Amino acid sequence: MSDAILELLGISKFFAMTAALSDVSIALRPGEIHGIVGENGAGKSTLIKIMTGVHQPTSGQIRIDDVPVQLKGTRDAQERGIAAIYQEPMVFPDLDVAENIFISHNKLGEVVRWREMYAEADRLIARLGVSLEVDRAASGLTLAGQQTVEIARALALDVKVLIMDEPTASLSAHEVDQLLRIARALKAEGVAVVYISHRLEEVVEIADRVTVLRDGQHVSTRDIGDVTTERMIAEMVGRDAGEFFAREKSHATDKVALSIEGLTVDGAFADVTFDVHAGEVVCLAGLVGARRTDVALSIFGVVPAESGTIAINGKAVAITNPKQAMELGIAYVSEDRRKLGLAMPMSIVANTTLATLEQFLSRSGLVNRRRERDVAESFRRRLNIRTPNVNTSVGTLSGGNQQKVMLSKWLNAEPSIMIFDEPTRGIDVGAKAEVHEIIHELAASGVAVLVISSDLPEVLSLADRIIVMREGRQMGIYDGAEATQENVMQLATGQELTAEPA
Amino acid sequence: MSVDASDLLAKSAPGRSSWTAALISWEGLLLAVLIAIIAVNANLSDAYLTVTNQINLFQLSIEKIIVALIMTLIIINGEIDLSVASMMGLAACAFGWLFQAGFPTVAAIPVVLLVGAAGGYLNAFFITRMGLPSLVVTLATLIGFRGLARVLVEDRGITDFPAWFDNLGQQGLVGPLPLAMIIFVVLLAFFIVVLHFSGFGRQVFVIGNNKDVAAYSGVDVARVKAILFTASGLISALAGLLYAARVGAVRGDVALGFELDIITIVLLGGISIFGGRGSLYGALLSILIVLNLRNGMALVNVTGHIQTGVVGILLIVSVLAPNMRESLGAAWSNWRGRRGSR
Repeated sequence: MSDAILELLGISKFFAMTAALSDVSIALRPGEIHGIVGENGAGKSTLIKIMTGVHQPTSGQIRIDDVPVQLKGTRDAQERGIAAIYQEPMVFPDLDVAENIFISHNKLGEVVRWREMYAEADRLIARLGVSLEVDRAASGLTLAGQQTVEIARALALDVKVLIMDEPTASLSAHEVDQLLRIARALKAEGVAVVYISHRLEEVVEIADRVTVLRDGQHVSTRDIGDVTTERMIAEMVGRDAGEFFAREKSHATDKVALSIEGLTVDGAFADVTFDVHAGEVVCLAGLVGARRTDVALSIFGVVPAESGTIAINGKAVAITNPKQAMELGIAYVSEDRRKLGLAMPMSIVANTTLATLEQFLSRSGLVNRRRERDVAESFRRRLNIRTPNVNTSVGTLSGGNQQKVMLSKWLNAEPSIMIFDEPTRGIDVGAKAEVHEIIHELAASGVAVLVISSDLPEVLSLADRIIVMREGRQMGIYDGAEATQENVMQLATGQELTAEPA
Repeated sequence: MSVDASDLLAKSAPGRSSWTAALISWEGLLLAVLIAIIAVNANLSDAYLTVTNQINLFQLSIEKIIVALIMTLIIINGEIDLSVASMMGLAACAFGWLFQAGFPTVAAIPVVLLVGAAGGYLNAFFITRMGLPSLVVTLATLIGFRGLARVLVEDRGITDFPAWFDNLGQQGLVGPLPLAMIIFVVLLAFFIVVLHFSGFGRQVFVIGNNKDVAAYSGVDVARVKAILFTASGLISALAGLLYAARVGAVRGDVALGFELDIITIVLLGGISIFGGRGSLYGALLSILIVLNLRNGMALVNVTGHIQTGVVGILLIVSVLAPNMRESLGAAWSNWRGRRGSR
């Protein structure tokens, strides 16, 4: 027997050969707020998806009120009293608040009894301790208002476990207070609230117990009295020494290749300022929502900055589209191979020459297929791309090999400034080491390299300098050799500094 | 999450043939169907394999198959142009109207072609500058161009074009080959080179596969689309003129509804309606299949409506066949993947 309402026992989840979760056990008690923290990729999302029936665990058991169950899907999980709300709420803008609350409800019968519905909606909102007109359209609601609607919707379904996934990431301070009040109201009603957040101070403020996940494994579950933010951070980042890559010596020169000053895109990031020297590797560290990719997209001309300046080799430039950025010698290796990086059904050859097609055209505009093939073939050998041949479509390759094709595409452009966005996410250790090798080679040849990475050991081993961002703001710059996981994470999570950054 | 769906794809489908291989096999299937149709037709009627019948078979649909060429590029690009038939009608009517107004016939031809290019660019403008879906934009211009055609000519026919103009449409220009057929062959060769051998063609495919990937690789997506739609307008106008010459008369309803036949031919050729996949070889085979099938049925006196029905069934089968193969393949690899993970 246990006092748990929902219990996960030894849950593991594999995707292909990668373990997203291994042997995680968590018990949720009624009337508690249970914080779950961990770095990006620690397995939080997978855990939520298993609790809400989106994914089935590869092994392990889920118990509700001590009875083993199988959650067949979100609907099934909902009927058993488990619901989740996310950073981006799901509301139907053209329906009013009450209709949204009862959208998946069938208790009211076949015919909607409107007066009853509005009265019930009013009661639910009141239980959450907030004020919201239930007959107004959902379209004008703030994000916080939409979340309230979602929570009320869960409450209407007699929720026993409510999972909040980064609920405060886009809220203002006042709205955060309101959300925390709602979480406490739910707790008072006996609901088990799972609270997932990168904002450790919030977790400390509201949670009764905190679970730390790291690399898909359960690290600890403690009562809040036994937890400090320092300790949480240490547990979030702590790794075996063997997983660190050795640092190479810096190739940084005095020449400033890329200089950014006061760069701002409204609603994304503000006042970002840094230099990247030729031969230098600068890493942008931070958590999800730090808006690092937005900075890269702004430099690459996808979302031009609203204010601030970009200078290349000391000359101010205005970059308004990727083509122009490429002409200035900038390459951007996207984090999203599938959507932004590769034309999946097309061949390795076609993808390799995609960004540099002009090099392969005759004067009449025809493609020199033989030269194209030779270049793809040379990259296949140089980067050790494992494939039957270079005419294979990239969609059939493994993630690591796709990543190498994407690198080939940009290496062939011979950029002087190269931006990597999460270059090793989702690829195996061997491919990861090869990607790091390429980054070192580029730096050695005088290319200015900017790497966005959420993988702290990677950041610490690659970077000459580390820029830490949090929620669109630049928090500080560390010298790569002096930084530690703890102090980078402190800046990334917005903790007060124990020591000034170098 | 540190797991990428692409890993799953690669691991769960180790032995699946590549897209190109699938395409070749689709075209192989079309070729087999074509040969079967030709064999049956040749047995049905002695008239079938005569030069006159073979030319006639092309001539009856020559305007549609000319437009089908550019439509192939547009659909591979991930777009659609529903306004082509209305543009054919508008071009024919504009020509008739200019002719009636006493405009010299020789000078009217380039003016009409210019109207076509301008109409195509109008489509491109709304699609690339305003970011509207081509389905909606060209549906609107389908109505707009047709309306303009009817305003110009109304429902009375205009005939009495100069004899040389009618002859261009009705008589052989080089030997027995009429002008329109020569234009078709030249355009076919031109577009094969453009689509399958040029840098522009490569960009057409990449955009059709994923226009964000194209844009992030420095491809000027808007420019490629603008060129294609402008070309579509121009070629539709040319097809409209050829129609006027062949029939020797224009009315407001010239080429009404042709867009559906044109799109049918393209899709039957294995060109994916979602863009990024297909070839002009497939389109050519599809053209030959549809024309020979209709011709064969006409030779044994099957009525036009039944002919249309048969082509419709063919289209449904052709759309279903690859889908069925894919879902069967997915079910297969899913089953194997599940078995492998246990």
